[in-house]
Amino acid sequence: MAHQKQTAAEVLEEASQRTVTGAHALMLSLLAEGVDTLFGYPGGAIMPTYDALYDYRDVLRHILVRHEQGAGHAAQGYARLQNKAGVALVTSGPGATNLMTPICDALLDSTPMVCIVGQVYNKLLGTDAFQEADVIGMTMPITKWNYQITSADEVPEILAKAFYIAQTGRPGPVVLDFTRTAQMELMTRPFSYQKCETMVSYHPRTVPKDDQIRAAAELINKAKKPYILAGHGILISQAEAELKAFAEKSGIPVATTLLGMSAIDADHPNYVGWLGMHGNYGTNVLTNECDVLIAIGMRFDDRVTGDLSQYARQAKVVHIEIDPAEIDKNVKATAPVVGDAKEALKALLPLIDEKSHPEWRDEFRKYDVIEEEKITRRTLFHDGEHIKMGEAVALLSELTKGEAVTVTDVGQHQMIANRYYRFKKHNSIVTSGGAGTMGFALPAALGAKVGAPDRQVVAIIGDGGFQMTLQELATIWQENLNVKILILNNNFLGMVRQWQQLFFDNRYSFVDIKNPDFVTIAKGFHIEGHTCRERGELRASLEKMLNHDGAYLLEVICEKEENVFPMVPAGQAVDKIRLE
Amino acid sequence: MTNYTISIFTTNTVGLLNRITIVFTRRRLNIESLTVCETERKGVSRFTIVLKSETREQVEKLVRQIRKIVDVLAVYGYLNEDIVYHETALFKVSTPLGGPQLDIERVNKDFNAWVVHWGADYVIIEKSGTEAEIMEFYHYIKPQGILEFVRSGRISVSKEEKGLVEYLPEEGVWEIA
Ligand SMILES: Cc1ncc(C[n+]2csc(CCOP(=O)(O)OP(=O)(O)O)c2C)c(N)n1
Repeated sequence: MAHQKQTAAEVLEEASQRTVTGAHALMLSLLAEGVDTLFGYPGGAIMPTYDALYDYRDVLRHILVRHEQGAGHAAQGYARLQNKAGVALVTSGPGATNLMTPICDALLDSTPMVCIVGQVYNKLLGTDAFQEADVIGMTMPITKWNYQITSADEVPEILAKAFYIAQTGRPGPVVLDFTRTAQMELMTRPFSYQKCETMVSYHPRTVPKDDQIRAAAELINKAKKPYILAGHGILISQAEAELKAFAEKSGIPVATTLLGMSAIDADHPNYVGWLGMHGNYGTNVLTNECDVLIAIGMRFDDRVTGDLSQYARQAKVVHIEIDPAEIDKNVKATAPVVGDAKEALKALLPLIDEKSHPEWRDEFRKYDVIEEEKITRRTLFHDGEHIKMGEAVALLSELTKGEAVTVTDVGQHQMIANRYYRFKKHNSIVTSGGAGTMGFALPAALGAKVGAPDRQVVAIIGDGGFQMTLQELATIWQENLNVKILILNNNFLGMVRQWQQLFFDNRYSFVDIKNPDFVTIAKGFHIEGHTCRERGELRASLEKMLNHDGAYLLEVICEKEENVFPMVPAGQAVDKIRLE
Repeated sequence: MTNYTISIFTTNTVGLLNRITIVFTRRRLNIESLTVCETERKGVSRFTIVLKSETREQVEKLVRQIRKIVDVLAVYGYLNEDIVYHETALFKVSTPLGGPQLDIERVNKDFNAWVVHWGADYVIIEKSGTEAEIMEFYHYIKPQGILEFVRSGRISVSKEEKGLVEYLPEEGVWEIA
């Protein structure tokens, strides 16, 4: 039969007259939700769905990963860039268990994701059937919602709920456990789809209450040393313009969390740096000197607060947050504002006095001078033999004009990347913050590239983490994705080595890693690459990578035992931050 | 340690009990007792959970985490004085021939407990009341020889005038997964 290309709308229109199987209903539901891309891996229990997918290959792009973890992280990268749910499709049992890490990661980093997982026939449930795993039980603590679909008729309604729950309020992962019975049986009525817009048992508040806004405004207007901590919530609610307007009118300095990076232009006069364990000097120390802390879309993670009992005790706290369970969880809020960051900032703006706080903002500069001298300059301008990670990232930042999407893995390079990349464009960071998942970057970068094909996407990865998911090079090649892969190779599991040096008396316990030849590996996957060993050729190497037409792997051999500073040692007060 | 009673209203969904108990186990909080039943509104279940806690703050955080679960309609936390509460216990007590005589009158009058089944050489006694009242009876009857003892979870209603279900969204808005 001749294969004629149809649009998603035509496919949906045609289906409304037919009775379809659960698997087809799933495809149609995805189309109705505007999904056009899936990341997946087939297998026994999901085969009826893959069989249906074959009929929809013109309207649903399926990206075949090489491991289900890759499907999950790719869906996450895609979701971050698209600001909507990424979809992963995998089989039951081991397919499902391979997806656990991304699901957990997505929950901690509030990433919308809909995971569709095959399951055995209804009648085999609970019998330890081949490739049966209790996916609902296993994913209960790491999902925002999960549901087992056991009949075809449920499909449209459950899919509508899944997307609604994943994408609204505080976004998160949803798992649908789809039995073979439900995939194969016919619906008992013609397919029709109603998007979910409200649920009786779930209604996230987006518009904050007036009295909360007024109380917050009053605190902010009275403050002498107010301080904004901007988190991931700014990126999720796309409140960058509102944040900028609020900061400019109020004159309040703005720091970001790791996941809040790129919420504000790195060169904006109000921007003072980033927070947390490896954040900047002044941003951390002055947390314990401000009088009003305005936390927006962030959750006071322990990597940000250090010892809670010594965290901002002097400050009154305005906490703007869409998830009410985060209010007072770690830090007590004087003025909680439950709602979407964008809505809250919009509502606050007219009530805020125009100020500039010059003296207070100067205090940050004083610390900057010290940090610049003790750390930054010694990293970027030195005559040591070896390249430092910071040099590579600073050059990358310059060559990409701060406009690339950086996708970082976990470890020293992650902290260095965020320290030295000067973000000029919003929504430019994809990293695993809450879970700290090594192996995240390569698949997340390929997902990010699919989500933002017009942007330069650079994965910055350590030599250790790269080896956790490197099989996704095959996906990158097969899908012809122009992803740049920068391996900062220090021949160590660097971050762990740093802790062993500083806190375990130099006892390097199993962090010395012997590496393969990364360029040869890339070559085996038909991806070009190069190893840069000398500072003299760093710029040219980076330029070559960036200008290369297609995926490219650049390995930069870095100083082996460089440490990341500043550092707030785990469990200590933020003002006990160490510079060396 | 103070006793807190948490009333949770949910849609009637498979697996929800698990989701709720996970919130407790993750925080290493011990559930003292748990009762689940359908409410006066169809499709709405009510969980009554008793726990002991050092601080009210901990319970407040817990309540917020439970409320966060999709499919949970509402959560209320109470101190003992805010509610009327009850538990039921069944005692299988041995009454062998020639053994000590059971003082039925005392059991009825002093303890408000009732024999609900007569066996050949045992009886089953039902006793309702607060945990303290049940335990008081337990100690009284113990010398007689307790063959089996079981106590239910707490059920409670608040002393507020309105029924809690009235705070839930209207029936028409219902949809049940
Ligand atoms: C899946 C996983 N396993 C272990 C860790 C613990 N861990 C954190 S950083 C790190 C070292 C990373 O080494 P590498 O990828 O070479 O990056 P570097 O720190 O040297 O930049 C390890 C092992 C982790 N975060 N994730």
